[in-house]
Parts: sequence; C-alpha cells; structure tokens
Amino acid sequence: MANETSGVIPIQPVPYARSRQAGEAQTVLDHIVDDFQDNPQAMQYFYDLFRRVYCHGEAVPHSGKLVGTTCIQAPEELIYAFGATPVRLCNGSYHYDQRGADFMPAKSCSLVKATLGMLSSETVIPKLGKPDLVVNPTTCDQKKKASAMIEGMGYAVHDLEFPNVKESEAARVYWRRSVREFASELRKLTGQRLSRAKLKAAMAMTGRAQAAFRQLHNFRRQAPSLILGKDAFLVTNAYFFDDIERWTAAVEKLNAELAERQAAGFRAVQSKAPRVVFTGSPPIFPNLKLPLLIEEAGGVVVADETCSANRMLYDMTAVDEWLLGDMVDSLADKYLKPCTCPIFTRNDDRKRRLRELVSQFNADGVVYQAFSGCQVYEMEFRSVAEEFNAAGIPILYIETDYSPDDQGQLSTRIEAFLESLKNRKKQRA
Amino acid sequence: MTAAESVLQRVRGAVNRVDFNRFRFWFQLVAFVLFVYGGYLAIDLGSKLPFFSCGYNQEGRAGVCYLLPLQHQLGRSWAMLFSVASLVILTGFLTFAAWFIVLNKGWCGFVCPLGTLQDWITLLRRSLGIRFASYTHGQFAQLTRIKYVLLALMILIPLGIGGGFLSPDSSPPFCLICPARMLLPIFTGDFSQFTIDFSSKTAIFMTALGISVTGLFLVGSFVKKRFFCFFCPMSALHYLISKAALFKLKKDGSKCTRCGDCYAVCDMEIKEIADDVTRPDIMTDDCTLCLKCVASCPEPGALKATFVGIPIFESTEEGFIKRMNKACKHGK
Repeated sequence: MANETSGVIPIQPVPYARSRQAGEAQTVLDHIVDDFQDNPQAMQYFYDLFRRVYCHGEAVPHSGKLVGTTCIQAPEELIYAFGATPVRLCNGSYHYDQRGADFMPAKSCSLVKATLGMLSSETVIPKLGKPDLVVNPTTCDQKKKASAMIEGMGYAVHDLEFPNVKESEAARVYWRRSVREFASELRKLTGQRLSRAKLKAAMAMTGRAQAAFRQLHNFRRQAPSLILGKDAFLVTNAYFFDDIERWTAAVEKLNAELAERQAAGFRAVQSKAPRVVFTGSPPIFPNLKLPLLIEEAGGVVVADETCSANRMLYDMTAVDEWLLGDMVDSLADKYLKPCTCPIFTRNDDRKRRLRELVSQFNADGVVYQAFSGCQVYEMEFRSVAEEFNAAGIPILYIETDYSPDDQGQLSTRIEAFLESLKNRKKQRA
Repeated sequence: MTAAESVLQRVRGAVNRVDFNRFRFWFQLVAFVLFVYGGYLAIDLGSKLPFFSCGYNQEGRAGVCYLLPLQHQLGRSWAMLFSVASLVILTGFLTFAAWFIVLNKGWCGFVCPLGTLQDWITLLRRSLGIRFASYTHGQFAQLTRIKYVLLALMILIPLGIGGGFLSPDSSPPFCLICPARMLLPIFTGDFSQFTIDFSSKTAIFMTALGISVTGLFLVGSFVKKRFFCFFCPMSALHYLISKAALFKLKKDGSKCTRCGDCYAVCDMEIKEIADDVTRPDIMTDDCTLCLKCVASCPEPGALKATFVGIPIFESTEEGFIKRMNKACKHGK
C-alpha cells in the first residue's frame, strides 16, 4: 500500500532542519536569543554552536574514540588522557523524551527517557557519531536500569560502579577501585597506555576549563547581574559536546566581556530583580523551560546547584605528588567526595552548599526543579525545604517534565513567587 | 578604603597566591641549617625548644630539644624530685610552653630538623617515581595512639629510674631510641652515636633498639610521608597544650564542599580536615601544621592559618588555580 502511494507521490525524507526536534530547538533558541535584550556579544559563539548542531543538524567532529557518558561521575580527564573524546549523552529534548517513553514506565524521569530516546533514534542529535563506549555510572535506579537497554540498542556499555554512600572509607576505597577499572576498560578500548604526561595534560586542560567556569561563576555574584542565567546554562550545556579547548577559549572571551561590563557599571537586569538560586533536576537544552520562565518574569538565576552546570565544573582536583597513582586517586576523590547528587543516603553537603550559594550570591530565593518521576529529587525536597524554612529563605518547588504543556500554569506560579520575593525585599529595605 | 588598607590587601593577596611548596622548602632548609649548624656561630637558643634540635649534635646545635632536659629532670632521685629544687622543672616547662605557643605545631611542619629530613627522603622517593604508602582507616585509628604511649613511657621510665626501680642505663629513654640522636650529629660529621653500648644489658638493649628505630625511620619515611611524626611523643605533648597556642589552623565549615583536596595532600592522612565541617579549630593531634591543606583548598576562606586571630595565610581560588596549574604543567 505504502509502496503504491509513494509510487505516485514520491515521499521524500524530511530534511533535518524541518523535523520536529529541529523545530523544538529552534523555538527555544530563538526565544533565548531574540526575546531578551543586551545579550553579551561573546554569547554569539554559543548561539551559533547550538543553532548549527541542534537546528541544522551539523555534525560535531571529535578526535579518537568517542566515549559517551550518562552522568558527570565519569572522570573526563581519564578519557582525554587515553586520547578519546568524552561526550555527555544526557538529553533535554521533548521529542526524544516521548520516544524514550517506550523503554520506561509512564512516571519516569524525562532526562533518562530522552537519553534513551536519543540513543535509540536513527538521527541522533547532537550528531556526534556512534559512541564507541557508553559509560553509565550506577547512580539512580533509572540510570542503572537504562544500562541493559542501551546495550540492547547495540552499544558497548561500561557500568561504572558508583557507591551510594559517600561518607564511609569503604565507599572511597570502592570508588577508587572502580575508577581504576574504568581506566583499564579505556585501555582496552583505545589500545593506549595511560601515561603520567598524558594524564597531566588532560588534567591541565580540564583545569583551565574549570578556572574559566569559576570566573564566569564569580561574575554572577555581581548585583545587579551582568549576565542572565539562561546564557550561563547555555554555556555549560555546550560543555556536554563542544571541543573543550574551543569551549574554554569562548568562555574566557565571555569573561573578558563581563569584566568590561562590570567596569562600565552595566546592568543586565533591573536592580530590584529577584535573585534566584536554581537547584534540582538539571536544565539541559532545549529544556531550559524553568530558567527561561524565571527570567521572562523579571527574575534572574544567579547561581545553580545542578549537574548540568555548577556541579559538573565547579570542584577542582588537588594532587600532592604528580605520579600516576596519586593523580588517579585524587581524581576519583574529586568525583565522589564533593558530589551533591541526591542518590546518596545523606544530603547534608547539598544543603550546606545551597545555603552557601544563597549567601554568597546574595540570592532572595530558591527554585527547586524536580522532574516528575525523579524520585530522589522529589524525596529530598522535604529535608531541603525544612532547612530553608528554618533559615527563612523562600523556596519554590516545581515538579515538571520536558512537556511544554504546563508552561502557562508554571509561569503563573513563578510570577507569584517572584512577586513575593520582591515584596520581602521591599519590606526589608 | 585607605591607602594602608589597600597595601595590606595587596600583601595578603600576594601571600595567598604564593608558590607554597617552594616557600616551605626554603623555609625548612634555612631552619635546618640554623638548628643543625647554628652552634658554630655561637647561636644558643636554650634547652627548652619544642622540636628535635638534638642535644647530641653537640657542636652544631643552636639549641636543645626540651625532651632531653625533661627526661633528665624527671630522672632525679625522688627525694630531690619532690623538693623545692624541682621548681626548675616547672619553669623549664613554662619556657618550653612559651616557645611552643608561638608557632603551635608549626614547629613540626616548618622547623623540626627531623621533620625536614623526612620531607627530603620523601623528595627522593618522589623523584624515583615511587608512590607513597598509606594506612587503612583501621590502622590509622590504632597507630595514632602510639605517641601517647611513648609520651607516658617517656615520663614514667625516668620516674622509675629516679625511684631506683629501673637501671640508670636506660636514661634518657626516649633519646636513646630517637632517630634524631643518631641522624642529626651525622650532619656535623659525628658518627659516634652509631654504637652499641655493651656496658650493661640495659645499655645493649636500649642502644640496639635505637639503631633499629633509626633503620625503621629511614625505611618508614621512604615509603610513608612523615612516618615518624605519627609516633612522636613531642607531638603528643604539643597537642596537650595546643589550646593556648597563638598560631592556629581554622576552618569555616560553611564554605567547605568536602571535596577532599586538603586530605589528598595531607602528609599525615588526617581525614577530619576534609570531613569535619563543625569544628573551627581543626588542628588534630597528628597535624604538623605544614599548611599544605590551606594551599590546596580551592574554597576562598574555608581554611586559614591565623596568628592571634589575624589571618596570615588563607585558602583562595586564585592561589589554588595558580599552584595546581603550575604543578600540573611542570610536575612536582
């Protein structure tokens, strides 16, 4: 039947630029770029990058083997040291979220579903090429169970065993061993040996990227803000797949522009704009729904505690003796000890971190995003809310997913929240 | 901001960005030369020093470690010990304490010649590309008590000698087994401590034990950073009076991300430095106040060294990035 029809009216495959996912990306990107004034000029690099990769479906070239990671817990320095390129597979597209619904129960995390949807699709965007290895750290239940499914799609998968308690000595020892096993897995994959010089070079490269990120992070302390949170999220999102050195250079350029803005007394927002710390489930392009709603409503996201931005790049590694063993163990510690992921038994570090961000960045309130079905974030809200209520810091909890349907309702809630933050500010003044 | 304040701030900034390991290396070297060879320049800082400026290095020493006179004083006959004459023990202790409170355990991390010697052995190991050993959690918990046992023995044995219960050949007991007695005189060409005293059974035992401990010291500090400090009775004595010290290591737990960078560089494997976010006075009994933790902390103001409450050296992001980047590029 189909053949008969196509014999008469030949059905052309739709070019990517006209596909639904390109449309989704295009809409969000246009919104980010066009609906806000005074975007930093240096952001053009990132706007162009996302337009090329997400809207036009351009390929992202890489060198060496491609190692996909499903979590920030996979040490990228090791991957670089073996001459391979890491790429973060966590996906933010609603289109893939729907596709991935086939794999997971109805109430599951959009991020996991979208990642599965992307990996199972024929046209994977961003067009990175097929990863030679997918590293899946055993963090939350949904990611753990995704492992076998990803393998079922024909990918080579390495389960990077990750402890779910981090305070104990046993956890540290276990995780260090796990990282060493990952290194030997990479050795098998690449056929290369890990050398001191290569690991040092890789660590210097990541270190430079982190230093650039920290500088950007510090510029966001300025009140009124020099840059909006939507741009900062776009920058860190680009780190998922962009060439690390090019990314670092672009961020350094952005920092230089922010320094100029600071010197000129520039304001990206009104001086009364409520300052918000963003926490919880990670915003990943094109799902920047919540940060965008906050900033459209006149607020500004000044800092975040999410694994798509701050948690991914903030913590830096210290090494005492630059010998291979010490470097690998120090790296392992960096990926475990400061992590504030909700999959751990306790969340004291996360609460302390959030309190510190609120105070250091002079924030007026916190927005807590939990993807429906992300049980760990949903469960942790109770303790985080208790902490913030006791400290008298307003917090807004939003359960949502990648679907655009709830935008209207969410914008009402966010506007009300920001309004209350403004009133508090006024009363205090 | 006044001009003086801005100068002060610039100085602070420069101090916090300092290439800390290099600074400490040179500081230790100068201190080593001073206390091992200072005697030749007629420098004498007394006999109540709170670190191992070994009295057996008779020509070169610029002062004497307090443990030597302390053990001699405690080893007096009991009749004398419990008389007014023992006021000197009290004044001696006060002099020792006065020295101590200035630098706290910083004497260990920056001045002690035996500590410096271990750091040099560490440099040698590192240049050979051999990794350091570390204790497991359980081993640490047990071994950390040994210094208190040694401190107790160091006090009880002289008392036993003074009471006539033990042979005077075992005096001063700690010095006889201390590696500094054998190793520091070597630097002035004096190898005379490398002998076994055959005059009595006790003397044979103590001097043989001394040689064994020195052997253990050399091997131990090759595989383990600051191997001996972990067992040092001086370190235990320090800790007992450290509350009064003027120089302090402070931690602001609210700024700590518990990333463990400080623990990663700690020669003494002190876990509390990274994990404890409640105690502001973070110096533990094993600490040598070497301040490497402060230099390797990326969180501004999370760790700081203070003198009478005034911050002297503070962790900063800028300092961290500079130090780690440099080390990463050139390798140290």
